[in-house]
Amino acid sequence: MISFELSPHQQQVKDVVHWFAENEMRPISMEADKSGKVPDEWLDKINKLGIQLTTSSFGEDKPKSDKKTKSERQGNRLAVIASEELGWGDPAIALTLPGPGLGGPPVQSSGTPEQKRRFLSIFSKDEPPRWGAYALTEPEAGSDVSGIRTTAKKTEGGYILNGQKIFITNGGRASWVVVFATVDRTLGRAGHRAFVVEKDTPGFTCTRLAQKMGIRASETAELLLEDCFVPEENLLGGESYYETRGDRPSGFRVAMKTFDNTRPIVAAMAIGIARAAYEYTLDWVRREYPRHGHFHHLAADVLAHAEQDIEAARLLTWEAAWRADIGKPNAKEAAICKAYSGKIALDVCSECLELLGPVGLEEHIVEKLYRDAKIFDIFEGTNQVQHLITARHLYEPFGVRV
Amino acid sequence: MISFQPTADEWSFVDLAKDFADERIRPLARECEQNRRVNPDLVKKVDELGFATLELPESWGGLELPLISQIQILESLSYGDLGILQGLPGPGDAASLIRLIPDSPVLNSYKDAGRDGSWPVVAFYHAANAILPTSEIKAVPKGAGYVLSGTSQPLRLAAFADHLVIAVTDSDGNPLILWLDKADNSWDVVEGGYRLGLLAAGCARVRFDDETVNEDRVLAKGSEAQDLLSKALSRVYVLEAAKEVGLMEAALSYATEYTAQRKAFGQVIAKFQGVSFNLADMAIETQAVRHLVRRSAENTDREESESVLSTLARAHRSLRFVTDSAVQLLGGHGYVQEFPVEKWMRDAQAQVILYGREHDLTIRHGVQILDEPIRTEA
Repeated sequence: MISFELSPHQQQVKDVVHWFAENEMRPISMEADKSGKVPDEWLDKINKLGIQLTTSSFGEDKPKSDKKTKSERQGNRLAVIASEELGWGDPAIALTLPGPGLGGPPVQSSGTPEQKRRFLSIFSKDEPPRWGAYALTEPEAGSDVSGIRTTAKKTEGGYILNGQKIFITNGGRASWVVVFATVDRTLGRAGHRAFVVEKDTPGFTCTRLAQKMGIRASETAELLLEDCFVPEENLLGGESYYETRGDRPSGFRVAMKTFDNTRPIVAAMAIGIARAAYEYTLDWVRREYPRHGHFHHLAADVLAHAEQDIEAARLLTWEAAWRADIGKPNAKEAAICKAYSGKIALDVCSECLELLGPVGLEEHIVEKLYRDAKIFDIFEGTNQVQHLITARHLYEPFGVRV
Repeated sequence: MISFQPTADEWSFVDLAKDFADERIRPLARECEQNRRVNPDLVKKVDELGFATLELPESWGGLELPLISQIQILESLSYGDLGILQGLPGPGDAASLIRLIPDSPVLNSYKDAGRDGSWPVVAFYHAANAILPTSEIKAVPKGAGYVLSGTSQPLRLAAFADHLVIAVTDSDGNPLILWLDKADNSWDVVEGGYRLGLLAAGCARVRFDDETVNEDRVLAKGSEAQDLLSKALSRVYVLEAAKEVGLMEAALSYATEYTAQRKAFGQVIAKFQGVSFNLADMAIETQAVRHLVRRSAENTDREESESVLSTLARAHRSLRFVTDSAVQLLGGHGYVQEFPVEKWMRDAQAQVILYGREHDLTIRHGVQILDEPIRTEA
């Protein structure tokens, strides 16, 4: 039955995460943006509470084998509900919450049981806060993942990695990073491999942290791999995963699968940003604007559009998550929700700033949200890449590859 | 629990509607437009299959489906041709009024007339759009009844109407809804030289020349009339928005297939991103509006407060975008009548001007938001 009502469990998740966003994230939000850092003591405290950013509920968690279980799988829906609230709280802080982050899904979906145990079990509230990261982008390969140049040369017992990675969220602080490299550029996508490179591996360094327009409290690292030896057991999925010829997943597939799984989460965070700007501005307009006349109508027009864009984005995102939950392919829906949410998040923030007028320059949260929102139209696949994926799926039934 | 899964009953009804739209409606679209009337055999078939009585109460022999089910069926039918859907005889938008007050004695004669399953035509005039003093129907109280005068704006189905619903504010400022029967009251039908779209939908003005209407024609008045009209229009708006989604889907799928086959500069034009990205935007808009309509339908079914105005406004905007894009993607072929998309673009524009002004709907919704206590919940 079609329904957009949250179940009691979904509502509970939303309420708990919202409470956290409002009472733990918001109070440090502006200061973290200003200093470009989430305070360490805050991260310690949060980690002790067992709060993590984990996207691995999005992915391959099979329902437990108990066939009698009647409860419907809903991890994806819960993840987008929670992510919207985290985005509402502060997207930069959300991205800095301890946990495997974007590195989680590839390990979860492609790792051997041993790798899952080794790399995913280190995140614990009884330990210091830890992070995982995901390193795909290079100076010369962003949207076109197939163009990566980082090389992996087979050697005894492992691989030697050489190359540079940029725009890596939490890349400097991560305990391990899923690094994509090619064993042979001439093989194209079939030559791609994913490695888990651990912090302090000789030849693996964080060379710089990027200064950004927004999400300033989130660490965006440049990583360098110089003759970096990575043991075989850190090849994601193990050798056998890549040996079989034919349609077995390549490293490229691993990378892409991650995106299908994480795009709805990123979309949901963007929606949270838009909603934060909208709610703040609505409240402000109610207090500051005249109750009648031209400006009242102008505000009504802008806010009605914003509310609707947010609602439409949320429904598109829920659909992508729902499809994943029930095991239907969701690559098109994931691309659509990301394209739409990334765009409207910025639009809504921009329109809200217009309603605020020049006072929006001052320390209102909306200007920060505007700066934060822009990246959501870029990372995890730009708006254009989402359009390309959407179009590919539309034309697929006609045998046309665009 | 959030779910996008239709019920088994909805699936089967939608399947039936899809097949009917493909096999029976779409092939007759041009003919019905030229004849300015829906083909009578098609009407008969629609009646037989029950598509004309989705909204009517069971006590009237209707299916009394919830909006969430109706919108899926209407979307599928409209995929065949919106022009035909809007020209189907029967209660039209008045079905939503009937749904709300099925036992009103004022409706008895209409209920009897439709016993055989073939419902006389009703056109629905409401003053929500009457901002032009020259296009208004005035109701002046006289004894227990009213005197009607003036000319309406063009209404859907008015050219064929056996009955009229007149929702106005009378000269004393009281809301009023009248149900008129051609057998008892007279009005003139003023047909214009319509060429834009929905040409089979019987659009016309109705004119009253000091027509006296007896008390027994009053369906509701005062706050009861206001409440009834508001509830009925909410339902009408949801159903109309769903029809718009069906037309968007038609335009999207036609443009997809065309651009996947049409070649230029040595390749199918789908391979040009100016084309494929436009198509992706059409798909995104269609899906966004589909969800918004479903959300509005579900909320209205549950009698939750609902932003129907905003949903309809968005459907209008997106419908114009998607149907225009389809014409654009077909290029010159989009502009000529050998292809359906030029008709769809015209029908779309006619539809959006018949059912409320997009900006007005949006601003009215915005004013509602500004007047509400702040919502922090999704």
